[in-house]
Amino acid sequence: MRAAEKTGVTRAEKLRRREWRGLVSPMVLFLLVFLGFPTVVDVVYSLSRVDFQNLRAPQLAGFENYGAVLSDPTFWAAAWFSLRFGVITAAAECLIGLFLAIFLSPLIAKRSALMAPLMLPLMVAPAMVGLMYRLVLNEFAGPVPYYLYMIFGNSPAFLDADTAFWTLCVVEALQWTPFAFLLFYAAYQAIPEEARQAAQLDGASSWQMLTLIELPLMAPTIAVAVFIRFIDGFRVFDNVYTLVGAGPGGVTQSLSIYIYKAFFEQGTIGKAIAASILLFLTSFAVLAGLSWLAARRREART
Amino acid sequence: MIKALRWIVLVLAVLILNLPVIATLVTSFKSSAELSVNPGLWISAPTLENYLGVLQVTDRLNIYGYLANSFIASAIGSVLAILLAFPAAYALARGGFGQKLLMPAVVNLRAVPLIIFAIPLYMMYQWVGLLDTQLGLGLILTIVNLPLALIILVNAILEVPIELDEAARIDGASTWAIMMRVIRPVVRSALMTALIFGFITAWNEFLFGLMMTTNHAVPMTVGASFFFAASGGGIQWGLASAVMIVGALPPSVLGMLMYRRISGSLTTGAIKG
Repeated sequence: MRAAEKTGVTRAEKLRRREWRGLVSPMVLFLLVFLGFPTVVDVVYSLSRVDFQNLRAPQLAGFENYGAVLSDPTFWAAAWFSLRFGVITAAAECLIGLFLAIFLSPLIAKRSALMAPLMLPLMVAPAMVGLMYRLVLNEFAGPVPYYLYMIFGNSPAFLDADTAFWTLCVVEALQWTPFAFLLFYAAYQAIPEEARQAAQLDGASSWQMLTLIELPLMAPTIAVAVFIRFIDGFRVFDNVYTLVGAGPGGVTQSLSIYIYKAFFEQGTIGKAIAASILLFLTSFAVLAGLSWLAARRREART
Repeated sequence: MIKALRWIVLVLAVLILNLPVIATLVTSFKSSAELSVNPGLWISAPTLENYLGVLQVTDRLNIYGYLANSFIASAIGSVLAILLAFPAAYALARGGFGQKLLMPAVVNLRAVPLIIFAIPLYMMYQWVGLLDTQLGLGLILTIVNLPLALIILVNAILEVPIELDEAARIDGASTWAIMMRVIRPVVRSALMTALIFGFITAWNEFLFGLMMTTNHAVPMTVGASFFFAASGGGIQWGLASAVMIVGALPPSVLGMLMYRRISGSLTTGAIKG
């Protein structure tokens, strides 16, 4: 009797498992076709000699392409650009976003509609924002140089070799600060009232409240926001491409733009793909390192 | 006193963060004659001539084509992402299926620079004839949308009490029937959020539009940059501004109408992911 029940259960369980698998499989199949297959192609082609003539018949050539990429000073310049850009914009966005979230929260908690105009930049395509800044910064038609001339009698060149990097940082930071703001505002609102009351009873000043109670409670969110914004800045393409392209002398060439140009403009397919793989390995290493850190912290807490 | 300061900071933040949109909007209502003497942020003689120009089809600009391409590709990219993610999210949330490998793999996809898949996808599309088609672009936008759709839906389903499933199962409902008739109505709001957010993300995508389309399926973001490139040095800024405003309008209006849902999903997407 018991044995029969047991097999009955396992049969139902088996059926259930098959059903779950059936529900997941369309998505898995789609991912395999659109990401799995390209990954295999990436790996094979990165180790091959390919050009547009023998696209379907690549010849294995070992690590030639990687050598070409790693000895290309433009690649290292692009990697350095992406790294600096990611770090600086993530830091700026999170600092300003944190300030706005905490300083404006009494206003927004009462009238949540005030959130809408602060979120508008997130709704506009970064590529479109890049184009808009061509207008905003234009010597003849742009309001920024116009007002600078009016007030200071002079306006700097925003997009020459020395200034383009910083202009792009400002453009990126102004568009994505609202993202950091949103996360931090939600985290700030989620701080339990008891935590604040307890601190108040202990006679904490509002500065102590902020640094000893509120910021530590928001720390996980801050870490997430810094990470997301760094990754987005590191792989930047759209707004840089539409505003300046690779910039004067290639000074604003990010890794994404480097890959795009190697493929579409120079036709060096193997090099472009090898650079893709290197980019993939880098982001994978960052991700793996972070989840390892997160797991260790969880362990330490329990 | 501090309250006044908060208001000042708020107004300044809104103005500075939205400067490109404001400047473009103002310029789009200026005649070229006015623009040459007044590039500032006020308008002395507002005109609609730029918008009338944009809505005319010329060989340099066919805005209806760009808008239609963006609309169709974004619709495919957002709807298909939901169709794939909803059943998967149900299995992940209830069956505990794929929690270890599948979920982290898809979620981490957001942190992977998608350009690394662009070149093989380009070659694959060339072989199967999907280059420069709305469907081809839509399928790639589905990939872009899948991670966040999955996170939003898994979290929504986890919040549904499991007693609902169990009650329906005792009544003899199949897994599929439970998913469609019990879960789907309860998480309708999350489905809607994922759909709208996906549509906005897809509309604003640029890189794949640039690489995968050349002529027939060019989306609005790429079309606007073509318009700039085709103008060379002699850009008509009034006209260009109207192009940008028309192109930015659909996602902005959707986003402003749904800002509450979107702020919620951005936050869950980031924290729970």
